[in-house]
Order: sequence, then C-alpha cells, then structure tokens
Amino acid sequence: MRMTVCVKQVLSTGEVRMDPVTNTMIREGRQSVINPFDLHALEAAILLKERLGGEITALSMGIPTVEALLRDAIARGADRAVLLSDRAFAGADTLATSRTLAAGMGLIGGFDLILCGKMAVDGDTAQIGPELAEALDIPHVADVCEILTANEYSIQVRQAAGYGFCTLEVALPALITVTREANRPRMPSLAGIRRSRTAPLRLADSGELALEPCRMGLNGSPTRVVKTFVPVRERVCRPVEGSPSRQAAALLDMVKEVGI
Amino acid sequence: MNDIRKPMSEEYAQYLRDESQKTGTASLIAFPKTTEETAALLALCNQERLPVTVQGARTGIAAGCVPAGGLILNLSRMNRVLGCRRLESGSFAFRVQAGVILSEFAGAVESKRFSISGWDEDSVDACRMLMKGGDFFFSPDPTERSATLGGMAACNASGARSYKYGSVRPYIVALRAVLADGRPLSLRRGACFAQGRRLNVSLDDGGCIEATLPSYRMPDTKNTSGYYASPDMDAIDLLIGSDGTLAVITELEVTLLPQPGCIWGMLAFLPGREEALDYVLRLRAMDEGALASIEYFDAGALEILRRQRTGNAVFASLPEFSESAGAAVYTELHCEEAKEALALLGRAGEALEAAGGREEETLVARTRSDLLALQFFRHAIPESVNLLIAQRKKECAVITKLSTDMAVPDRHLAHMMEYYHDALDREGLQSAVWGHIGDNHLHINILPRNAAEYDKGRALYTLWAKEVCRLSGAVSAEHAVGKLKVDYLEIMYGKAHIDEMRALKKAFDPLCLLGRGNIFAGRGAM
Repeated sequence: MRMTVCVKQVLSTGEVRMDPVTNTMIREGRQSVINPFDLHALEAAILLKERLGGEITALSMGIPTVEALLRDAIARGADRAVLLSDRAFAGADTLATSRTLAAGMGLIGGFDLILCGKMAVDGDTAQIGPELAEALDIPHVADVCEILTANEYSIQVRQAAGYGFCTLEVALPALITVTREANRPRMPSLAGIRRSRTAPLRLADSGELALEPCRMGLNGSPTRVVKTFVPVRERVCRPVEGSPSRQAAALLDMVKEVGI
Repeated sequence: MNDIRKPMSEEYAQYLRDESQKTGTASLIAFPKTTEETAALLALCNQERLPVTVQGARTGIAAGCVPAGGLILNLSRMNRVLGCRRLESGSFAFRVQAGVILSEFAGAVESKRFSISGWDEDSVDACRMLMKGGDFFFSPDPTERSATLGGMAACNASGARSYKYGSVRPYIVALRAVLADGRPLSLRRGACFAQGRRLNVSLDDGGCIEATLPSYRMPDTKNTSGYYASPDMDAIDLLIGSDGTLAVITELEVTLLPQPGCIWGMLAFLPGREEALDYVLRLRAMDEGALASIEYFDAGALEILRRQRTGNAVFASLPEFSESAGAAVYTELHCEEAKEALALLGRAGEALEAAGGREEETLVARTRSDLLALQFFRHAIPESVNLLIAQRKKECAVITKLSTDMAVPDRHLAHMMEYYHDALDREGLQSAVWGHIGDNHLHINILPRNAAEYDKGRALYTLWAKEVCRLSGAVSAEHAVGKLKVDYLEIMYGKAHIDEMRALKKAFDPLCLLGRGNIFAGRGAM
C-alpha cells in the first residue's frame, strides 16, 4: 500500500505562553516537534505497512528546519519524505495549505491512502485533512479511531462520532484523519535514527508545484486574522474564616451574591 | 508562643509510617510553619525530655522519619520558597523552607513561576533576571519526586542523574537548622571548616558546638552511610545526610545548573546480564561527561513490567519490548547541541552492538513526551514492586520490602552482580534488580512469597552487606541508614567508629532526643 502521512511542526509544550504585547505565541526556548495527532497517523500507517507491505512518505509544508522533523518521522518508520518549503507558502490558511499539500502529492506520484492527524494542537481547526481530500477529489473519513480491515481496494474504519461510533468502508484512494485512540505511537529506534540520516528527503519549492501563485500562501488565503488577543480571566480569592457555621453562612452569602 | 503540639489520634495515623511500611509510635504531633516555631517546639520538648522525630513528605524507605515515641515534627507546612539570588557564575540560588516538595520546586524552576509574596526586592530582581535569561534546572532527581528538599538534605538523596551530577550535597550552599535544645544555627558552604578532626560550629546565639569527627575513611563510592566525616571538612556537609539526628534542617539554599540544550534518553534491551554489564563498561569507557545516567534492569524487573503492561491499565502505556530481552540499560544524554548528542548516540550504538545488543530494538527519546515515556518505564518498576509487595503482605503480614541500597567501587561491579545473582539462584528467591549501575549501585529487591523466604532474604541482605564492606563499599548509597540499616552500618564501620559517631551526636544532642533509632540502635548515645 502506498501511503502518505501529512505532518506539521508544532511547539512541544502543554502550556502555550502568549506575549501580552504582541498577542503571539512565545516560541523561544520551546522545542519543535511533530504534531502529536500526526504521530498517531504515522503509527497507523506503520501498522498497515506491517500488515500489507508498502511504502510510507511523510509530507509537510514548512520552513527548512522542518527537515529535522521529517527525518524524525523516518526514524519512527516512514521510508522517505517530501518537504514543501518556499517563502511563497508563508501566511497560508488551511485552504491554501491544503491546496499546496495537494500539489505536493503530485511530486510523490501515485498513492492509495493519505493519513493525517485529526487536527494540529496549535491551530485546532481539523480542516486540513478534509480540505486536502476535497482538493484531490478523493473520499475521506475524519476522526478514525480504529482501522478494522484494509486491502488494496478499500479500507474499513471505525469513526468516533459524537456519542457513538460508525463503521465505514471507503474505496481507495482515500484520506483518513486519525484520533489519539487509534494506537500508541512508537518511539524511534536507534537503527531508525541511523537510517533517517541518509534516507531520501526531497525539498521542493513553489516552482516545482503545479499551483498558481494566487492559490498559495497569503495571496491564496481568504481567511483574514483581524485581531488576536489573550483572554483575561479575572479570579478573586476571598478567604472564608471563622467557625464552621460562620464559614457556611459566608459561603451562602457568596452564592447568593453571584446569583446561583 | 502557643503550644502547637497536638495529641496523636486516628486522624494522624498515617504519620506513624513512611514508604518503608514500618510503623512507629508517638504521643504528639506538630506542623510548624517557620524556623522560629520549630525552635520553640524543640526547646519545649528539650525541657520535657521528649524525643523528636523529623518528617518531611514521608517518602523515605529506610524508616528515618518513623517516630520512636515522643513528638512527630512534621515540616510539610514549611513549604515556601523564600527568595532568590543570582550567583557570580550566572546561575541562581533559591532559599527554600525544608518542606518544599521537589516536583513543585523543579516545576517552578522549569516554568519560572514562583510565588514571590514576602520576597525582598533583591530576590524579586534576581527572579526577573531568571525569567529573562536562559533555562536552568535543579539536578538531583530521586525517583520519588514528592520528597521534600529538607528530607533530601537529611539523607543526601541522589537519583538516576547522580552519575553525572552527584547527590544533592554539592547543590546545598547554605542551611539553617535548629538544635535539639531549640538553639538555631546557620551554615554557609565555605565559611566554617573543621581543623583536622576538630569541629567548632558557631550558633546564632553566640554559643558554640565543639565536636570531634569520626576517624573512619568514607568509601570511595556513592555513600550516605552514617555521618559524612573527613579531616578539614566543611561543617555544612556534616548536617547533610545526618538523618535527622544532629539538628533539624529548616531552611536550605540550593543552586541550579544551566539546562542542557539537548536531553535525550536511550533504552537498550540486551539478551542478559553479562551482555548488559559489557555494554555498561563500554559506555563508561567512552563517556566524556555527557552521560547523565546509566540505569540497569534485570530479567526479573522486565518480567514484572511485562505483566503490569498487560494486566494493569495504569501501565498500559509502557513501551513495548521484545520477549527475548533479558536485561535493559537506560542512558540519558545531556548535551549542548543535537549534533553532539547524535554523535554520542552513534558511539553508544556501536558499543551496544559490540556487547550483543541490537540498535533495532533500542528506543530513543528525543522529544519531551518520548523522554517522559522512558522515564515512566524507569519509575514503573519500583512502583510495580511496591504493589506486588503490598499484595503479598496481605497474605503474609511479616513480609516487607527487602531492597538493598549498596554501592561498590568500579572494579568490583562485575563480582558483586555475580555474587547477588548466585545467592538469589541458590536460595530460589524471586527478585527484581534495577538501579544506578553507572555508579555500581544496584537495588536488589527480594520478593518473598512467604515468611520462610522473607527470612532467607534478610539473611542474604546481611551476607551482601558483609561482602560489600569487604570490598570497601557503602551499605547505603542514597536512602540513608534510617532505622532499617543500623546493623549494616555497624558491619561497615565497626563498633569503635560507631562509638565515635555517638560521641559526635552527643555534642549536638546531649540528651539524644533527635531521630531516635536512626543510625544508632536504641537511644543513640546510651
């Protein structure tokens, strides 16, 4: 099975710190890693490859340093990687990004299955997977929490759907987005890291893509960020002291005060 | 001042024991919040001739904080970070109360977020500099991260990273403590030294303690067996590792180190013990200071993890490993740059293959989440053994954890590993062995299934202590002597040196009220 896994670079931190002046994320001192959901997509691809054979390509659009993350994807089990990197891609929203990735798929050649993480932990849009499928005009299933069966013609998956699950079968080529519940991503092996240093990685710029300049980067992005801000949460701590009955009475007053 | 001591009741039953599962007795308990309150409590107990046992978070496994009658002096509410100062080296030192929890302090350092209420202007300025500058970390890392810094000082705790960074001792640059009679003293590293074996320590009230240091030579290994003593030593080092027997440490000033730019972990699986030892010796030979830890897990430990992984949901996220693995070695690399770490990883891989391991089966953590997963693997073993022992204790009440804490000089590591395993095989005892093999310091955990096996295990412990002492090793390398290793300390130093330690204790605590049962059998100086 010929598979492509889309990966995105995100900051490694559970705690996003915002600059109160510029209202942008503070990236200094934070390690860049593969978006955690994308690791589940990669693991799903590796498990499929172990069952059916095939090849896995990791694909990303980003700045040149993303090469290190793509080599990390190879160390974890991908066979090769393609990095789409060009200043012309800068400022892309999800639509322009998915068009660029779709054009990037043209460099990879034929494919049977594209796997994306359910969403990225920084943007939280969950739009890239479905938009990429639409751009390539292939079917997709979002929020896949289990791959049940797969062969060269189709894949049967379980989709997390609100309060329950759907079992869906989709003809290949197709795209799926994968949730955290699907698997436990493996760690790179030392042998994998050694392999990743010399494994094929293609670096492609906008000139190599069959995509008009007005459909990529900021120019190709209908989304306009009008304003960003850090929400202010005001918390007031009022100690309640005294005997238990006094404390209970004070608490009751507070409850009434806030109108509960 | 009000007497803040409370009579013991069912409400405080948990304070009668620690992680060793040994239970003691006490008539009173107090939770002071300041050095002054501690001093007043100690003065009161001194007048009443009441024994006092100091407690932090009760995470120790040598029963050092299990009370032997009298008052439990629990310092867990002395949990404030008091201030900060920038050092000439560019690093920072923090003044903390003894009850500050390690994980909370380490977390505050990492996120650079401190509760600064009550800090002086200089401390606030220093903290601002810390926030603007690079990243720092507190290097001592005992497995139990809910330990208090005071407790760590009392037993000179270390942990996996001690291979590179040593124990907590060198990172304590000042401390405040209170004697058994309530008089406080302040010690700063570099300010008060012994003259040969004579030590004079000035007290805050102008008084002085005069003492003679024991004449033994401490082992050339990781060691926290009895008092730290050497000619011309710094006085602060005597209180560090003194197991709550000389004075009550109430405040410490600890230093940070610059955070390495790149921290990677590597978990290698090998066919068995001999291959693992070969790999470790190769790692040590190639290390130029970038290996922070070298940790070992034997077949018994791996088997327990395999069972936990499939049978206990808490451990389901443990990394998978081959059925054929008979030993594992975890190494942590602390480098400035990824390029340097990558080169080191390559050399470690060559050492591994030469020793009989396979790069294909070796896990490498280069991201924070992967590193946490490998650290979870490391910490899951003692956790699992504790669960297993607790389960067996239900079936046979006499069973407690039988875990060694001994270290030997480099040249005796191979012999000691054979010696341990030969004895375990001979007696047919189940065991799990893991620990700080880089420092020749393994925790041999005997897992008895009944009372007879428990007795056999205890006999082996004594046998091993004798062998370790014959090889100039230490009977306690990081957990301290507490109440559980008193007999082994006597094997290590002999009665004459124990008597020297008693005399030293008496100079600080003439009535032998502090930490009764720790280091010394009975009432200490009697």
